[in-house]
Parts: sequence; C-alpha cells; structure tokens
Amino acid sequence: MTRWLLAPGIIWMMLFLVLPILMIVYVSFWTQTTFNISPDPTLDSWKQFFISDTYVGSLWTTVRIWLIVLACTFLVGYPTALFVGLFIKSKALSTILLVVCVIPFWTSFLIRVLAWRPMLGKEGAINIVLMKLGIISQPIEVLLFTELSVVIGMTQIYCVFMVGPIAFMLSRIDRNVIEAARDLGAGFGRIFWKIIFPLSLPGVVVGAIFVSVMVLGEFATSGALSGRKVNLLGNIIVTQVGSLKWAMASVVGVILTVVMGIVIAGFLRIVDLKREL
Amino acid sequence: MESRVFKPVLGLYVVLFVLFLYGPFVVLTILSFQQGPEGGPQFPIIEWSSYWYKHIFGLTPPSRVAPLPFGEALVRSLMLALMTMVVSTVLGVMSAQAFRRKFKGSGAVFYLIVLGMMVPGVLTGLGTSLLANNVVGIERHWYTTAFATHVAYTFPFAFLVMLAVLNRFDGSVEEAAWSLGVDPWTTFRKVTFPLIFPGVLSAMLFAFTLSLDEFPRTLFASGRDQTLPLAIYGTFSVEIHPNIFAFGVLTTLFSFALLSVYGILMGLSVRRAKKIAMQEEVA
Repeated sequence: MTRWLLAPGIIWMMLFLVLPILMIVYVSFWTQTTFNISPDPTLDSWKQFFISDTYVGSLWTTVRIWLIVLACTFLVGYPTALFVGLFIKSKALSTILLVVCVIPFWTSFLIRVLAWRPMLGKEGAINIVLMKLGIISQPIEVLLFTELSVVIGMTQIYCVFMVGPIAFMLSRIDRNVIEAARDLGAGFGRIFWKIIFPLSLPGVVVGAIFVSVMVLGEFATSGALSGRKVNLLGNIIVTQVGSLKWAMASVVGVILTVVMGIVIAGFLRIVDLKREL
Repeated sequence: MESRVFKPVLGLYVVLFVLFLYGPFVVLTILSFQQGPEGGPQFPIIEWSSYWYKHIFGLTPPSRVAPLPFGEALVRSLMLALMTMVVSTVLGVMSAQAFRRKFKGSGAVFYLIVLGMMVPGVLTGLGTSLLANNVVGIERHWYTTAFATHVAYTFPFAFLVMLAVLNRFDGSVEEAAWSLGVDPWTTFRKVTFPLIFPGVLSAMLFAFTLSLDEFPRTLFASGRDQTLPLAIYGTFSVEIHPNIFAFGVLTTLFSFALLSVYGILMGLSVRRAKKIAMQEEVA
C-alpha cells in the first residue's frame, strides 16, 4: 500500500529532479566548440572556469552577496519576528501582522524587482523624499545600478522568509520560563541572550536556509538592479545558455550545486532540525 | 521584560519594516497612473491618468509603446498553474498519506522530495532542457518540460503542508469506518478527505501561486511559447514603461481575489466541520 502511494512521487522526482542534475554533471564534461557540443569527455570547460577571472570572480561575488543579504535579512527581520512572535500576546493580531508581511508577495516577483528602480534611481522616491526633508542636497547616485541596490532589493524581497520561521519559533517559547528568569532577577539582555535567542535558533536556521537557497540561485534581481555590474553564478548560467555554451553553463551549475550543498549541510550541523520540529 | 520601553520601540520598528516592505509597491502603484504615452516609469507624475491601464487592454490609440505581449502568456500561465496544482496536490496527498505509517527508507524519500524546493530553479530548468534536447530528443514546451519542473518544485510544498495536516489527524475515525467494514478507498473518500480538505486547499493554493509566478524553472524549460513571468522578464531587456507597473497592480488585485475565494472556501469548510461536530454532540 505504502509503496503504491509513494511510487508516483518518487518516480516524478527521480525523472525531473535527480536525472536533470545528473545530466548537468554529465554535460559539464562535454566538448564544446563554437557552434557545436559533442559528448566526448573533456575537462576543458572546467579548466576554463578556474583560469578565468570573470568566472571565479562571479563565484566570490555570489558568496559575498549571499553573506551580506543573509546578514541583512537577519538583522532586519529578527526585531520584527521578536515583536510578532513574543511581544504580541493576541493571537489574532500576530496573525494579521504576519499576513500584512506576506501580502507584498502577491505581486509578481519580477515586477517587485522592477519596482525598486523608481525607488532607488537618481530621481527616485528615496532621493526625492530625502531632498524634500532637507537631509541631503544632492541626490545619492550609488543607490541604483550598484551592488548596494542588489543588496537592498534582495533584502526586501527575502526578509519575510526570515521573519516567518523565527516568529513561529518565538511564539512557541513557554512564557513561564521567561517569567521565572525575571523572578530570579535576570535583566532583559540576559533573558534574551540566555533564553530567547537560543530557543529561536532553529527558526533562524530554517529562515537562513530559505534565504540562502533563493539568493544563491538568483539572477533576475542582480541583472535588473545592478545594470549587469553584479554577476552572480546564476547570471553566468543564463548568459552561457544564451550563447549556447551548454557545457560551461553546466560547469557553473555543478559549482552552484556544490556551494548550495555545503551551505545547507553547514546549517543543518548547527541545529538538528528533525529533533527540533 | 522591560516592555514599557522596549515594546513601543520595537513596535515603531515594525512600522518602519512594513513601510520598507510596501515602499516599492506604493511607488509602483503611484507610477502606474502616470500620464501616457510620453510619461516614463519615474517621478515626477506629469499628470494623473489611467492611460497605462487602458494600454494593457489595447484601448489606447496606437503609439510608439508596443502593448505588452501578455494575453496568450497569461492563458498559458493559468493553464500551467492549474495543471501543476492538480498534479502536485495529488502527489502531495498520496506521499503524505504514505508517511503516516513508518517504513524503511522514509528518511531518504523525505529528503528526495524536499530536494525539489532546495535545488535552484535555474538548474532544474537547465538540466531538464538538456535532457529533452540531447537524450530524449523532444521539443520543449510549457505543458511538457516546464510542467515537469513546476511539479518537481511545488510537490514538496504540497507534501509538507499535507504532512503537517496529517500529523495532527485523529486516526480513530478511520479505524471506526474500517471496523464497520468500509473499504479503505471509500473510507478515504468519505471520511479522511473531507476532514483534511482545508489542508488540501492550502496545498492547492500554495502550488497554484508558486507555479503562476515561477520563472527560473520556466526560463530554459518552456521552449518557444512564453509564460507570463517570461513575458515580464522579456520587458527587462527593453525600455520599461509604466504599463508594466499597471499590470503589476492588476495581478496583485487578481491574487487578492484568489486569496478571498480561498478564505471563503476555508471559512465554509470550517463552519461545516463545526456543524457536523455539533450534530454529533446532540446525537
């Protein structure tokens, strides 16, 4: 019985997930010429990746952007999660707040990315508001078509994936524990670092996995907001496929998969999710 | 907790956070009412008008701005999302049902399914199109290759939702049905399914919306005909006009409508469940 229920799902994932990944690994060893690709095994594309500053540079850019965005989503998201999960006592109110956070996701992802352009541009909303308030006299130009714009855009788009899991974990904390710590004379800082933060850690890890998975595979946000100045591994894959360089695209794909594997395995080492959930 | 100081400060922070979340959308909505066809996708608003909304529906006189190629793409995306929703929900319910009993290798199967939401979309798309081109030798279409990658992505979400639902499910009602001689399939249809229906609805909503907006997986796998996100992506490379913003506002409204329908269905099924429970208590 169990076998029949599982078979369709397993077969689907084998055919359309595992097999495609194996195919990418396989194709990364194919011989690529300008106009053609043939299945003769070679390491050429791999060598090309590691001797090229552009390709290796995009690997480091990807890792750097990922770390920065991860830190930003955490710093921006944690206080919100703390408020929603711990400080709001009414269940209805905290649900409403979470729904409010999720509503922006009903706009198409790509249009959400595009919306950052009139926000950040030289004559964009942020510059206009800051100039009207007299905070700046010259428009800030580094806001758009830089690495900063990519970080701002990704932080806004992905921070909710951090807020959700952390708020969930915080809302499960037994209030009596906090009560008891306070009765024993602990200050808020101490309660936070000794009780609240450690108990919210599984949520942080789940959020970090969500954000990492999405940021590492990104190419649209960096393409649209950096004016092609920030090239992530995803951008390289898209351009390589665009010029029919399947082997190189596959090499980059394998490297991206390896990076992703290391990151997720690393997170799962910090917190044993199966035990926590 | 020093909540007298801390709570208001944190509350204020959350207000700023929400502003940060909604900022781009507010700006987008304002700019969608830009004057047309000369008004660009930036400030200041030259004159308020609904020109770009009419432009989407082809109600404006021809100008140098081409209409968005969204009509057919929209239909394709809706079809694809429907197909994805049905298949991934069925797969999700079946797999989660199987996980109610302990079996050997459950860990491996769990990770195999969850892998679908972990692997970057560009890669599944790339791999699937490589397979289709070089091994199977078929043409790529949104309803074949892209459909396969969409299900591989949304099935894990449906599975996890159903797993959470079935974890809280009280199996004694099923056992009661079995002991009365009802066969397992009828039991599932008449007893289990109605009870887990709210969960199924959530799984369907998840799968539908994820598929509707999915684009890295579609980019390589969909072949010649574009889906909606691909059509939007296509505008990235050309000059952007406020019609794309107007379109963003309209799709958001559509999503809200969808969410409302979900909310109503959810409310109805919860009410029905309560009613049944009350009748049982009376009896």
